[in-house]
Amino acid sequence: MRAILGTLVVFVYVFLLAPFLVVAIASLEGSQALFYNFPPRQLSLAWYGEIPVKYFRAFGVSLAVGAVTAVVAGAIGTAAALGLVRGRLRYAPLLQAAFRMPLQIPFVVTGVVFLQAYYRLVDVVGVNLAGRLPGMILAHVFVTIPYTVGTVSSVLVRLNPRFEEAAAALGASPWSTFRRVTFPLVRPGIFAGILYAFIISFGDVPIAIFLAGSNTVTLPVEIFQSLQFDFNPALLALSTLTVLFSLALVVVMQRVVGLDIVLRTGGNG
Amino acid sequence: MDSDESPERARGWRWWLWPALLLSFLIFAVPQTFFIAMGLHRNLGFGRISETYTLANYRRIVSDPLYLSSFALTLELSLVATAIGLLLGFPTAYVLARVRGRLASFLVSVLLISSFITVVIKVLGLIVILSQNGLVNGLLLRLRLLAAPLPLLSNRIGVLIGLVHYTLPFLVLILFSVIQTIPKSLEEAAESQGASRLSVLRRVVVPLSMPGVVAGGLIAFNMAMGAFTSAVLLGGGRVLTLPVLIQRKIVFDVDYPLGSALSTALLIVVFLINVLVTVLATRLSHPARALA
Repeated sequence: MRAILGTLVVFVYVFLLAPFLVVAIASLEGSQALFYNFPPRQLSLAWYGEIPVKYFRAFGVSLAVGAVTAVVAGAIGTAAALGLVRGRLRYAPLLQAAFRMPLQIPFVVTGVVFLQAYYRLVDVVGVNLAGRLPGMILAHVFVTIPYTVGTVSSVLVRLNPRFEEAAAALGASPWSTFRRVTFPLVRPGIFAGILYAFIISFGDVPIAIFLAGSNTVTLPVEIFQSLQFDFNPALLALSTLTVLFSLALVVVMQRVVGLDIVLRTGGNG
Repeated sequence: MDSDESPERARGWRWWLWPALLLSFLIFAVPQTFFIAMGLHRNLGFGRISETYTLANYRRIVSDPLYLSSFALTLELSLVATAIGLLLGFPTAYVLARVRGRLASFLVSVLLISSFITVVIKVLGLIVILSQNGLVNGLLLRLRLLAAPLPLLSNRIGVLIGLVHYTLPFLVLILFSVIQTIPKSLEEAAESQGASRLSVLRRVVVPLSMPGVVAGGLIAFNMAMGAFTSAVLLGGGRVLTLPVLIQRKIVFDVDYPLGSALSTALLIVVFLINVLVTVLATRLSHPARALA
């Protein structure tokens, strides 16, 4: 029994990690291959110097979209969670379900819906959001709010409101109660939500593929296009760097708030 | 943890809901309604649509074998991926929940990292592993277990492997969070009464983690039904699941009415399956029986 379970766990982890390891190893190819070799013929870091500049630009776009999305979704989600939990609404469970709705809709559909809405917006008010960063950020904020609402409210429901009442009773203004008492206590939930929002935005293909313009192509969309049309071994080097970047994010997260909070909220709002 | 907060103060907090409500309902629900309505118009070509309403698009979806088989294919792949995910994920989550200390938190962080890395990079890795001259075929050929390389890409198998890889970390994390709450003492009690390890798992752990199995299974299923990136890249344009077909209809054929009718049909099917499974799961769960 133990042996079977053990083997299965090892298999699952090998399966989950193999793609990243294989990419990292294949990225060390030293010969001037046009495709990939596994294992590489000669070891070198040559491909790391050959990453086309368009990928760095795309990385910058993804970073900017992800960061703004995370902060905006974090703020809106925190506010919504406070309203949901502290507002003591009779129909709070219904609202909670409504906030989870964006996760039930396939991202492809969300992408098309936003694109169409943006086209209509051009007709009606003459403002174009399609192919521009604000348009993509808006769509990403929409799909990441469930995560931030989820992580913050999971911390809030466990929080004793008496701390806030005590601060208020001692004469703190509502704003300073929030800033000095509520905010520090829910901060781990906010950070976890922001991390989730960033990750979702940073990795998204199906929404960004509809909303990206020629100057606003995100990294995953750029890689997606390359995998379809122009494979280049530098992709392996670029992907390895991106994996290391994601790894660093998780490590920072662990140092700042610990992974417990991220796990507790399960990432599903 | 009940609060004595005054009703006025609770009412004050409700204002904080507005930004999220506005964004979710005004910015999305309104366009979504237009989008669903779009499926009721006729496509006139070049992105133009008819003024009048018609059910023609839906009639086409239920009568054209292309769309029907795409529905069947998407459902089949998603169901199989979810089943494989549960079979692999449940025992893994169980082990994670019962291992203590540093190893456990390391193993859990690995899952998190895997779920955090963009799906295009997972797909790139899977391509290197599964292609004709990739790792798996290379290994099997060298061991002389195969005469010719197995086609593992640009077909359903490739997409299925991609779907399992995409959903598995999420599934294990959800199952883990539920199994973790089952006290180990329950298992020990059953074992001290002479139950074997296997029957403890089957009669104590599995029934008590049913809520997690249902929730996790539904999330994995929903993810698979909507999976676009892995279906396009690992299917090599030959495996036409609904999300792939929807994107093609809209980007290549500029047929918005049919694209939105397909999307709406996909949404309805996914929604109905979620409701059905949730209702069935609540009907079937008798907490008393789980402990008997």
